[in-house]
Amino acid sequence: MSLALAATVGVLFAFGTFLLLRDDLVKVVWGLAILSQAANVYLISMGGITEPTGDTVPVLAEYYAPFPETADPVVQALVLTAIVISFGMTAFALALSYRAYQENETIDVTEWPQ
Amino acid sequence: MSLLALAPMLAVLLTGTAALLVRGWPRLQRGVSVLGTLGYAGAVGSLCWQVVSGGAVVYQVGGWRAPFGITLVADALSAFMLALTAIVAVYAVVFSVRFIDDRNQRVYYHPMFQFLLLGATGALLTGDLFNLFVWFEVMLMASYVFVAFYGNAQHTAAAVRYVVLNIIGGVLMLLGIGGLYATTGTLNMADMARVLADPGGVTGAVVGLSALIFVTFALKAGLVPFQFWVPSAYRAAPLPVVAVFAGATKKVGIYAIIRLYFTVFGNADLSVAVPGADAGSSIGFLAPVLVLMGVASILVGGLGAVTRDSLDELFAYSSIGQIGFIAVPIGIAAASTGSLRHLGVLAALVFAFHHAVTKGLLFLSTGVIRDAVGTTRLSRLGGLADSSPAFASVMLVGGLSLVGIPPLAGFFGKLFVFDAASRRFAVAAAGTETTAGAAAILLVLVVGAVLTILYSTRAWMGAFWGGQTEAVVRGRIDPVEVALLSTFAAVVLASGVGFEPIVQFADAAADAALDTDGYVDLVLGGERS
Repeated sequence: MSLALAATVGVLFAFGTFLLLRDDLVKVVWGLAILSQAANVYLISMGGITEPTGDTVPVLAEYYAPFPETADPVVQALVLTAIVISFGMTAFALALSYRAYQENETIDVTEWPQ
Repeated sequence: MSLLALAPMLAVLLTGTAALLVRGWPRLQRGVSVLGTLGYAGAVGSLCWQVVSGGAVVYQVGGWRAPFGITLVADALSAFMLALTAIVAVYAVVFSVRFIDDRNQRVYYHPMFQFLLLGATGALLTGDLFNLFVWFEVMLMASYVFVAFYGNAQHTAAAVRYVVLNIIGGVLMLLGIGGLYATTGTLNMADMARVLADPGGVTGAVVGLSALIFVTFALKAGLVPFQFWVPSAYRAAPLPVVAVFAGATKKVGIYAIIRLYFTVFGNADLSVAVPGADAGSSIGFLAPVLVLMGVASILVGGLGAVTRDSLDELFAYSSIGQIGFIAVPIGIAAASTGSLRHLGVLAALVFAFHHAVTKGLLFLSTGVIRDAVGTTRLSRLGGLADSSPAFASVMLVGGLSLVGIPPLAGFFGKLFVFDAASRRFAVAAAGTETTAGAAAILLVLVVGAVLTILYSTRAWMGAFWGGQTEAVVRGRIDPVEVALLSTFAAVVLASGVGFEPIVQFADAAADAALDTDGYVDLVLGGERS
């Protein structure tokens, strides 16, 4: 499982970085969105999936004798926050890209003024 | 009393929301924004008073105990940074009312200004690492809007570059935070300090993971090699906001470096042998990194400022150089132990205070020139001293403070930085190690000081002396703006003449920054007993 997660994070980062280095602004924004998602997958995998005990899942303590495998809820809360932020950022970046395209008349960032 | 820690954040949050609600009534909106910022300054002032006289204030949000909930911590370090943010913010917002034209103010200028302050305030007060990330994003979101504010080709291009860079910075910070959470099992900074202080605990990975977060802090502070966004963003944003960027939000990056490395990692055993650093320093690995970045910033900023033609660009490069003057003593502090470490942090804080008020004043003065003449290009300026001697003396105070002439605030900033560097040299000379590194630091500081004199003189002579150019003759300097800025210049002057209380406050802030045990007790202790 951790190998699959590590591979996913690696592929996402590689692909995001590739897109980020394009001339085309829309591809750059896509790259940013993918990088943000890669960070989220990484965060989830950092919490890890642990052998559960009564201490880690007090809610289930009275109902289940063998606890089901559980993931760390803290990282899920973090990822939820990070998803909302990256959603807002991506929306803003897209809107700004359109505006920058209108002003500069090209989405090739290498042709923009310094 | 613990609610007092919440007061500055509540003040700006309420003001920002109110300014959004009354956007149909522009005059009312401006009044709300100015009064709200004064309220913010009042809240910061009473919080500072409480921290200095009665000790640090801790607020557990929602009543959740410390390692589980989010904690707001207002110790002397946070209070000191909040104080300089508040000073710059008050002048910037009042200046905006006069400077930004009415139609532009009616858009989302005032609410965004408040949310920018909210982000900076939250970042300075939070005691939780992930919460720090969230406040950074709040601060950035508002600053994106300001960089794109005027909306022409150049501004949108600058904004896109700024946004892309900071989103990458945010991703790196998330990676660092996630890694630190996985290795220490906590996000609360005090709890993390407690876990790391435990001998035999996990420490090896912490150095590498903290580097990811460090990159984001350095990006925010605009240290070389992360400085390239600074000139274009500062040229694009409205000048009163640039005063806040240079004076306050850059300092948040510096604050975060001090808080994370000196407070949280202060007791950790992260011993990585680094040449030139004392063996007893647990964070010696930070020293060569910060000193090199600081030294490079001083050179890049100084040389850049000497060659720029427009005043706003000149001051943007100058702020890169001045951040270098703040980073170098922090690096010296990281290499040292005992009283020299304390002196290094103190020097950085005193210089940060000086830079906030001085650069705030200079950017607002640049605004006066832009308003009057319509340009800030030195090649098209000249003879402003004849148009308005009062304004010339305001700018002179700012320029002399930047150079470091006593008794202005800048003199003490430079004095402390040179004191720390020369003591480091003495320590190196007394020991067996080579003195070349410490000598090179001193040399670069001197070169940086000379470059500061050069570009300040150039700005002054180009804009104020000589014959009046056609543009200056046609321009009219706004006396209301000059009157406002002369009170700001008086603050710069007063903070140099009456320096004793400021250095005491900075001293208390440096104590708080280095007292890891005290910080842990403050956040965790009270709740447990």
